[in-house]
Parts: sequence; structure tokens; C-alpha cells
Amino acid sequence: MGWDMSVDLSPLLNNWRFLLGGVETTLLLSLLSIALGTVVGVGVGIARCYAARPVAAILAFYVDSMRAIPLLVILVWTFFALPLLTPYSMTPFAAGVLGIGLHLAAFVSEVVRAGLLSIRPGQMQAALAMGMSRAQAIRLILLPQALIRMIPAFGSLVVITIKDSAIASVIAVPELMRQSQIIVGKTYRPLEVFSFVLIVYFLLCWPVARGIDRIYRRLAPLGAT
Amino acid sequence: MRFDWSVITDNWPLLLYGAGNTILLAVCTMALALPGGLLLAALRMTPWAPVRGFATAFVEFFRTTPVILQVYWVFYVLPVMTDIRLSAFGTGLAALTLNVSAFNSETFRAGLNSIRPGQRNAGLSLGMSGWQVLRLVVLPQAVPRVLPALASTWVSLFKDTSLVSVIAIEELSYVGLQLRAQSFRVLEVLTAMAVLYWIMGYPQAKLVDWIHRRIKVAE
Amino acid sequence: MTAGIAPIVEITRVSKRFATVQALDGVSLSVSRGEVVCLIGPSGSGKSTLLRTINGLEPIDNGTVTFDGIDVHARRTDIRKIRQRMGMVFQNFELFPHMTVRRNVMVGPEKVLRLPAAEARDRSELLLAKVGLREKADVHPAQLSGGQQQRVAIARALAMQPAVMLFDEPTSALDPETIGEVLNVMKRLADEGMTMIVVTHEMSFARRVADRIAVFDHGRIIEVGPPSQIFEHPTVHRTQEFLSHLGWDAAPKRNLESDSTGVPE
Repeated sequence: MGWDMSVDLSPLLNNWRFLLGGVETTLLLSLLSIALGTVVGVGVGIARCYAARPVAAILAFYVDSMRAIPLLVILVWTFFALPLLTPYSMTPFAAGVLGIGLHLAAFVSEVVRAGLLSIRPGQMQAALAMGMSRAQAIRLILLPQALIRMIPAFGSLVVITIKDSAIASVIAVPELMRQSQIIVGKTYRPLEVFSFVLIVYFLLCWPVARGIDRIYRRLAPLGAT
Repeated sequence: MRFDWSVITDNWPLLLYGAGNTILLAVCTMALALPGGLLLAALRMTPWAPVRGFATAFVEFFRTTPVILQVYWVFYVLPVMTDIRLSAFGTGLAALTLNVSAFNSETFRAGLNSIRPGQRNAGLSLGMSGWQVLRLVVLPQAVPRVLPALASTWVSLFKDTSLVSVIAIEELSYVGLQLRAQSFRVLEVLTAMAVLYWIMGYPQAKLVDWIHRRIKVAE
Repeated sequence: MTAGIAPIVEITRVSKRFATVQALDGVSLSVSRGEVVCLIGPSGSGKSTLLRTINGLEPIDNGTVTFDGIDVHARRTDIRKIRQRMGMVFQNFELFPHMTVRRNVMVGPEKVLRLPAAEARDRSELLLAKVGLREKADVHPAQLSGGQQQRVAIARALAMQPAVMLFDEPTSALDPETIGEVLNVMKRLADEGMTMIVVTHEMSFARRVADRIAVFDHGRIIEVGPPSQIFEHPTVHRTQEFLSHLGWDAAPKRNLESDSTGVPE
């Protein structure tokens, strides 16, 4: 019993198209989840800062619950349990986008909230003193500055979403993780396949992380006070 | 729609068993990943470039790839590469420990670097040894700084334990999914599972918030 | 003033390079017991770097630094013992924020000199009273003003009962109102006979308190002498330039040398 030195790359070479399809699905799933999560998250974040107490409290409950429940559980519930409550059925992919997106939205809202709260109150006062309405002040003065400050935190959420997309394999979404499991099932070469897929995820995430770094460094002075 | 909650009440002990394993797994992981993170942080600060490079690559890799894939990878590759045969629990523990150690090492590194070098000089100029400077000046300031990040990492870890269900470790997710498959009471079981996680996770999330607030005030 | 007695700090042709910059270029200086020597000069001229070589916080490329006859930078030297006999005060005070004022002053005697806690405590009481901050003993540094923090820092350094006190721009980070309280403490120390090496931009302090002043420029000492010489009859043109930039117009001397290299004592 020792180190089995035979590394057999044929499962990768024979199935690269299949795996590529997985990569495409991963990217699409991530993209749509980020879109959904950002739209909902920004709305929730702003609402938590400026809306009435009862609304803010309900949203706080939503956000804290998403922080407490694992994404795997949310995805499984969304795919298996939710359709039982509604007349609609759901594809795994749709359940994936919905689950990851709404889970992400909670974290996006936290980032947005932190960004808005980090701006000196003097900025709002200066805007109001010029005669702007609260909505205008938020839109023209606070939000632009806050958005720039949020870039690093948002960037790390993007990377996390790409990683989290792998959990959707549990509800049989044909993204990269799932496709690689199928290949392993067929070829019995987990070492080569999983190692390769690890590298692929690394190559997907790392440039995104570095790219966000660069963008932030360029824009940071615009958001500093 | 008829709900039949008896499946929950009948299987309460099983669900509690799963929850217990979740907690056990998280606690054991963090117990190993704290010294693990310190070790990695120390390796990343040594003067020897190859050691530094290896440690940095290790950390970057575990932070930039999905945990669920790391779990599978450790499960299949560990026995082949190292001749170590662990139980499923041990494998899950190993995978999570490697992952959390990587995150912790970043936290420790950032915390140590945030202490002004002048503080070290002030300690040295009083005649303190390097060890005394670490113990009396640097660590007491670094520990409160890393605490909020470590608390957040703990909450993430707690949720990530659900991922080791894929290698049949009997924590809460595995138990819940098995129960769903056996009983066909999908909605009840999955909702109960979510609620159980919520009961455990919500106070932890609030505690983390409190830690973040307390540390901010103390600064 | 102290001729015939061996200097307590002897710096001989010290050089130090940082990547592309020659921070110190063959610097020599002697400091006798009880002397107050002020180091002045433009920013980046090497004053602070030299100060840090005296207690070994900064390694040197060439030359020697001796303290009480011991080579500070020799490998065999126990640098900790040397540092215990010197006190250093930093521009940013560098009080330990997680300790009270009292503990800041006590930590050296108690943990480094290994004195019994009671004795360390008594010492801290005396020194805090000496710098006028006894009532702040149980407060944390963050609650003190800059001038108060610096006075605590001086007490902390004095608690080790050093033979030499090193001051690295002690008032540069202070508001104008609080500079005076720190300089007063320093003057009293000087009057009591403490050996002090002070990097400073406070020219009136240097003029009043220093026994000798060393003028730095581009990593070299271009002139050394008593305040009367430096401020009234500088022998080097750069000195006069530097001082007049700061508003001190010295009386021009007849034959002003245009340059000078490493003036020895």
C-alpha cells in the first residue's frame, strides 16, 4: 500500500467539453445570483437605514436569519419544499439562483448598510443645508461615496458566490462541481478530476479577487472623506 | 395542504443527535484551526522564501476554492496520498480544519501587522527581550483586534459543517436529508431542519455583532 | 567642560545605508556624562537614524558606537543590558495603550529589571509626581493629551534609572500649547545632570539647554559646538542657511567655510 503514482489524465481529456459546460453553468449561475442578490441587497440595505421601524425590523430578521442558516439548507428547502407551497414547479437551476441570490442579498445589504453608515453625518447635513431632499441627498451624495467604499467587501462577496455555486451540486444543478462528480462516478479517478477542478475554481476566483483590488485602488480616493 | 408534524416529534432524538454532531464538529475544527492558523501565519512571516511561498500558496488555495470541493478532495485524496485512513468524521474534520486554518492565518497576520512598529521599538528600548515584547506589548493589543474576525469565521464554520453531509457524516444536514428521503414529509422535515439551524445560528450571529460592537467601543 | 573624563557615548565614523540613500556618512560624535547634546538639521539628514544606532534599534554598516566603553553593535554584546541603561522617548510617545499610565511606568522596572512589584510601584509614584501627573496614574493613555502622554513616556524611560536619555523629536507631534510642559520637564532633567541626546526642531530649547549642538546635513555632521557658536558665529555656511530658514539670523562670520566634512569633537 503506497503512493499510487499512476496519474491518468484521460478522464479530463475525454470529457473536457462536459466539464466546460459545467464551467459555463457555474458562471451563469454566479452571475444571475449576483444580479439578484445585488438588486435585492441594495434595496434592503437602504431600507434598513432609512425606512420606518417595523419595516427595518422585519428586514433585520430576514438578514440575520440568512446569516444563521447554511446555504445548503436554503438551497435544499428552496428546491424541494418551496414548490410544495406554490402552484409552480422549479428547475434546479432556478432554485439555485433564487436560493443563492436571496442568501447573498442579506450579506450585500449588510455591506450597503455599513457603507452608508460610514459616511460622516456632516455630509448629509451639508446636503440638506443646500436644500436637497433626503432622497436626493441619499442618491447624489451618500450612495456614490458609499458604493465606492463597498467595493472591497462586495468583491469578496462575488468570490464567495462563485465558490458557493458549488453547493448547488447538491440539488443537481449541472454546474462544474456536479459535472465533475459525474465524471468521477464514471471513471473512478477522483484524484485527477477533483484536483483539476480545484485548480479551475482557483483560476476563476483569484483573478476576480485581484481585479476588484485594482478597481478599488483606482477609485478609493473618490470615496474617502 | 396537510402538514404532518409527527415525523418531527417522533424523530426528535435523531435530529438532536445530528445537531450535537454539528456542534462537535465545529468545536473540534476551531480547536485545531486556531493553532493551525497561528502556525500558518508564523510560516508566512519567516525569512525563508520557500517556506513563506508554500504557506502563502496553501492559504490562498484554501481560501479561493469551494469548501464542498475541498471536502470531497480530502475524502478521496488523503488515503491515496498519505496512507492515513480516517473515519468519515475525521476526514470532514481534516478538510474543515485545513480550510479554517487558512482563514485564521489571514486574520492573525492582519492583526499582528496592525500593531505599530513603534510599539515594538518602545518595548525593546526598555530592554525587553523579543519574547517579552510579544507577550507584554504586541499580543495584548493583537488579541482584541482578531477577536471579531475570528467570531465571524466561527459562524461561517458552523454553517459549513452542513457541507460534510455529502460524505455521510451524521451531522444535522445529513440526518435531516435522510429523514426527508425516508419519510417523504419533505416540507416538515426540511423546515424543521432550517429552524434547528436557525435556533443555533441566530444567537451566534447576534453574539458576533455584540463582539464587533464591544471591540469598537473599547478601541 | 568635561575634558579628561571618558565620554559615555562615543560614535566613531558610523555609516548606514538604506537601499538607495546614504542615511549616515562617517558620523563621529562624543557625548560626556552630564552633557546635553542637541542634534539639529533638516528632515531626513540622519539625526533620528543616528539616535537609533545608539541603543541598537538601528544596525550600522560601518564604524563603532560605544556606550560606557562597550561596543553596542558587537555580536557578543548583550544589547538588552545596554538598553536597560538608556532611556528613549519617541516622537509618537508610544505608550502602551492597553496599560494604565501607572502600569506603563511600572512595566520596565517590574518585568525587565525584575524588581518586586511594590518597589516598582513606589518608583512609578515618584516619577509620575516628578512629571506632574500623579493624579492620572490609573487612567489609560487614550484619555490624556499629547503633552501628558509624552510626560508619561519620559517617566516610563526614567523608571529604568538610565545613564543616558535619548529623545527623538519629543515635541514634534504636539500642539503648541503642550510643547512647553514637555520642554520644562526636559530642562529640569538637564539641570539635574542627566546625560541627554536630543533630536529636536525646538531651537530656543536647544539654545538655552544644550551644552553642545551638532548640525546634520545629508547624513553628516557639518558643525559641532556650543550654542553661542552655532547660533551666533557658525563656521559653516549650511548651518547659517538652515538656521535662517527657521528664522534665526546669525551674525555673519568673516571667513565662512562653504563646506565641512565630519567635524570631529
